[in-house]
Amino acid sequence: MSLAALDSPPNRPRWTARLKEFLIDRLGLETFAELAAKKRVPIHRSTVFYFLGGMALFLFGIQVVTGILLSLYYKPSPDQAFESVRAIMTEIEYGWLIRSIHSWSANLLIGVLYLHLLTTFIMRAYRRPREFTWITGLVLLAMFLAFGFSGYLLPWNQLAFFATKVGTDITGGVPLVGESMLLLARSGEEVTGDTLARFYSLHVVILPLAVLAVLGVHLYLVQKHGMSVPDAAARRYGGPEHVPSMPFVPHFLLRDMVGWYVALGLLAALAALFPWELGTKADPFGAAPEGIKPEWYFLFMFATLEQTPSHVFGLENKQAVVLFFSLVGLVVLAVPFLDRRADRGGPRPALSFLATWAVFAFVVQTAVGLGLLHFGLSVSVFVSGALAIAFRLLMLWWCALDRRRMSA
Amino acid sequence: MRTRLRVVLLSGLLGAAAMFAAGWSAAGDAAGAETAAAADESPAPPPPPPPPVPKKTETPGKSPDAPPKAAPAPPPPPPPPPATKPSEKPAPKAPAAPETKAPASPAAKALAKPGERGQPRPNQCLTCHAEHAEPRLRVTESDMAGDVHWQKGLRCVDCHGGDPAWEEARGAHAEEDGFRRLRSDSDLTKPPDPVRVVELCGDCHANIERMRPFNPSPRTDQLREYWTSGHGRRLKESADPAVATCVSCHAKPHGTAADPGKHGVLAVADLNSPVYPKNVAKTCATCHADAKLMAGRQYHGRPIGHQQYDEWSRSVHAETLLKKGDLSAPTCNDCHGNHGALPPDVDSVANACGTCHGKIAGLFATTRMKHAFERVGLPGCATCHGAHDIRHATIDMLGMHDGAVCVGCHDKGRHGATVAGGEAARKFRNDLDGLRRAIEEAEAKIEEAERLGMAIPGPRSDPRADARMYLRKAGDALTAARVEIHGFAAAPVEKVLAAGRETVAEVQESAESAIRQHHARRIWLAASLVPILLVIVVLVLYIRTLPPVPLAAQDRTPGNP
Repeated sequence: MSLAALDSPPNRPRWTARLKEFLIDRLGLETFAELAAKKRVPIHRSTVFYFLGGMALFLFGIQVVTGILLSLYYKPSPDQAFESVRAIMTEIEYGWLIRSIHSWSANLLIGVLYLHLLTTFIMRAYRRPREFTWITGLVLLAMFLAFGFSGYLLPWNQLAFFATKVGTDITGGVPLVGESMLLLARSGEEVTGDTLARFYSLHVVILPLAVLAVLGVHLYLVQKHGMSVPDAAARRYGGPEHVPSMPFVPHFLLRDMVGWYVALGLLAALAALFPWELGTKADPFGAAPEGIKPEWYFLFMFATLEQTPSHVFGLENKQAVVLFFSLVGLVVLAVPFLDRRADRGGPRPALSFLATWAVFAFVVQTAVGLGLLHFGLSVSVFVSGALAIAFRLLMLWWCALDRRRMSA
Repeated sequence: MRTRLRVVLLSGLLGAAAMFAAGWSAAGDAAGAETAAAADESPAPPPPPPPPVPKKTETPGKSPDAPPKAAPAPPPPPPPPPATKPSEKPAPKAPAAPETKAPASPAAKALAKPGERGQPRPNQCLTCHAEHAEPRLRVTESDMAGDVHWQKGLRCVDCHGGDPAWEEARGAHAEEDGFRRLRSDSDLTKPPDPVRVVELCGDCHANIERMRPFNPSPRTDQLREYWTSGHGRRLKESADPAVATCVSCHAKPHGTAADPGKHGVLAVADLNSPVYPKNVAKTCATCHADAKLMAGRQYHGRPIGHQQYDEWSRSVHAETLLKKGDLSAPTCNDCHGNHGALPPDVDSVANACGTCHGKIAGLFATTRMKHAFERVGLPGCATCHGAHDIRHATIDMLGMHDGAVCVGCHDKGRHGATVAGGEAARKFRNDLDGLRRAIEEAEAKIEEAERLGMAIPGPRSDPRADARMYLRKAGDALTAARVEIHGFAAAPVEKVLAAGRETVAEVQESAESAIRQHHARRIWLAASLVPILLVIVVLVLYIRTLPPVPLAAQDRTPGNP
């Protein structure tokens, strides 16, 4: 036995220390170790919102893993796509589980992203210097919506076929470039096998690469600027620097992991109890299925299109709706620049009211799209507006109570 | 020269159709049309007036060098008045139709008149006939607009002959110019002579030389077929003026209901043609649903009746043709023939049905049942399925219960039917019911599995197949067994049913395995949730062991180094 061996701690195998040293020397892992040691997460009443980003990242990881597994068996051609997914569901060991988790996880991911966007807005986390974090986040959301849209067609079933037809039709409504976009999306005038190949390429090559690039920038910016502290918490502790915080590793990371395991259990339960159905094979010459609808995260747009009269201000309803949601998207993108009092922590009544209205409109229109409500467009606007006003009044009252309690 | 010949032939064709149109009613109650009305405007025309000054229209745009028309310059003398009044005429003899010598067709004549084709010819016929007092002789250009002959450039003269250049009736209807009379007398109150109508059409349509310019491979057997039909035979035998001729079915009436003329022969493929598949039955019903017209008429000693259209309208064939729009579904002419229309004989009913139901007819033809039917005069398929009112054939027709067709003979031993035959029918029925029930149960299993969200694996013999699609094989087997029933032999039916039962069993097994798997997944879920929960518990416990977080930040910006 050598002297070095005698000097090593008796309860630690010598080879692990050597391996650690080897890796640190060559990969520069000490940088990450230092980063992890210094990173802290503020503690306040909205700390739970910080988990949403990590949750989205976890679900994205699930999508990558299950997507790779599915791609081993999936065949992207109109003749074989449906049959291959069917084989995944019935013949491949645990194929049903992988596909169901992939589908459910995609839906949960979009839901988490919507919530992440909302909570980021509520916490005003887009303030200087985090404008680009906000913008890259929105770009990521748009990309994941595109993931959902392109993935929906891949099983080549009747519902997906016609939903894609309707969805790409809406794309054709974009003013000026709509027709070109339609041709680009469909790879022709109709939804065909070429469209399937194009969507597959988009789903497994183009979007993943683009998402990895934008996600990298987004995560870099999050690390660079740190976690944003809400105004209320900063005021409460006399400045953001005085807000209590916990180390990211291990305190926050372990809590994050609890959330991930909960999500994993939820996914397993959904996949086992509610397997993602396959439907019938697409028949381009068949009749469109009754009550054809897109996925829930597009329903608000679909319902709005259904409610809109055939012509608005001289535009076709498709064009008008696409134009409207494009403008909404631009406004949301520009929020960091529209909220001019953000730096001073001043109020933003107009933005807050518009955002509240948008959230209620999203909920109401999704309910309309699901057929739970039977509103016309004007009724939807009125109801969501009334709910937004009521909610804002409630919040004002709540804040007044809170202030009184604090002063007491 | 070739073009000229073609136009001449065309004109012959058109002439045939237009002549039919000359006013014969399908119902037979209209007086015949006689285009040669010129001199026949009244039954007893006055003595001929002095020869009129010829008023022949110059051919517009005709070259002065063009050879004159064959017709002579002076108008032909009017036909002599009939020696006796029409009422005093002897009853028309039954024409020996095929042998009747019709005048040479205008088309044929035109062939012999070179030098005029290619030149626009005046057509004064409609000048008078558009305002003719007799509704059936009143023909306007719009009546002819859809006429297939008219559309191909044929005009009145091409069927009816005469000289269309004359503005005056007698000149236009001169027999010297080839004018064809459609009646043997001048009584306009009577329909035209059906034989002449048929022969007129046949002049072109039975002549390959004349038809070929319009169609490289035309049918020219219609006239020959017609004389073998019930209609043709009756015409030959009794000169029945109400008997259907070509125009009865092909031409559209343009006169009044009481006095319809018949012009305007539409192409068979024209949706408005009386002989378009969807319209055939109604066209036949014009006469055959007329109780008054059909009263007393017989075929082989049996009344023809007038209920056929009503019965057919209730049939599965009518439903398929008229409601589902399947033009291959049979209407009258598909079983009876069209130009050679005749009811099938007792021993040939199965052959008529076999035109479409070939497999069944083939099976039936080999059975003892067929010969037994023929012996006792039962009309094959129609014995069980009906003649015109043929309903959708179901399993319920089979067996020995009330409402089944077998019970009518096998229960009472009618027509020599045996009790053993009844037992066989009962067994067939039970076996078919058994497969039907099994298919329904398999469908229910598939639905249950699908309701649980399960994708059903394909059966053992075809793992890639869709269970529901695969189950159709069992449905096909049931249909095949129903077909095999017509062979009245147990073994082939049992063989097909066994294949169907095997298919059902495979699908049921697949559906049940999917349902079993759904239950297994719950167990799998419980098993997987346990380790997940354990990890969560361990994590939470570990978090509790971590050093407490300071209540306020020390000297660092929250969140970031």
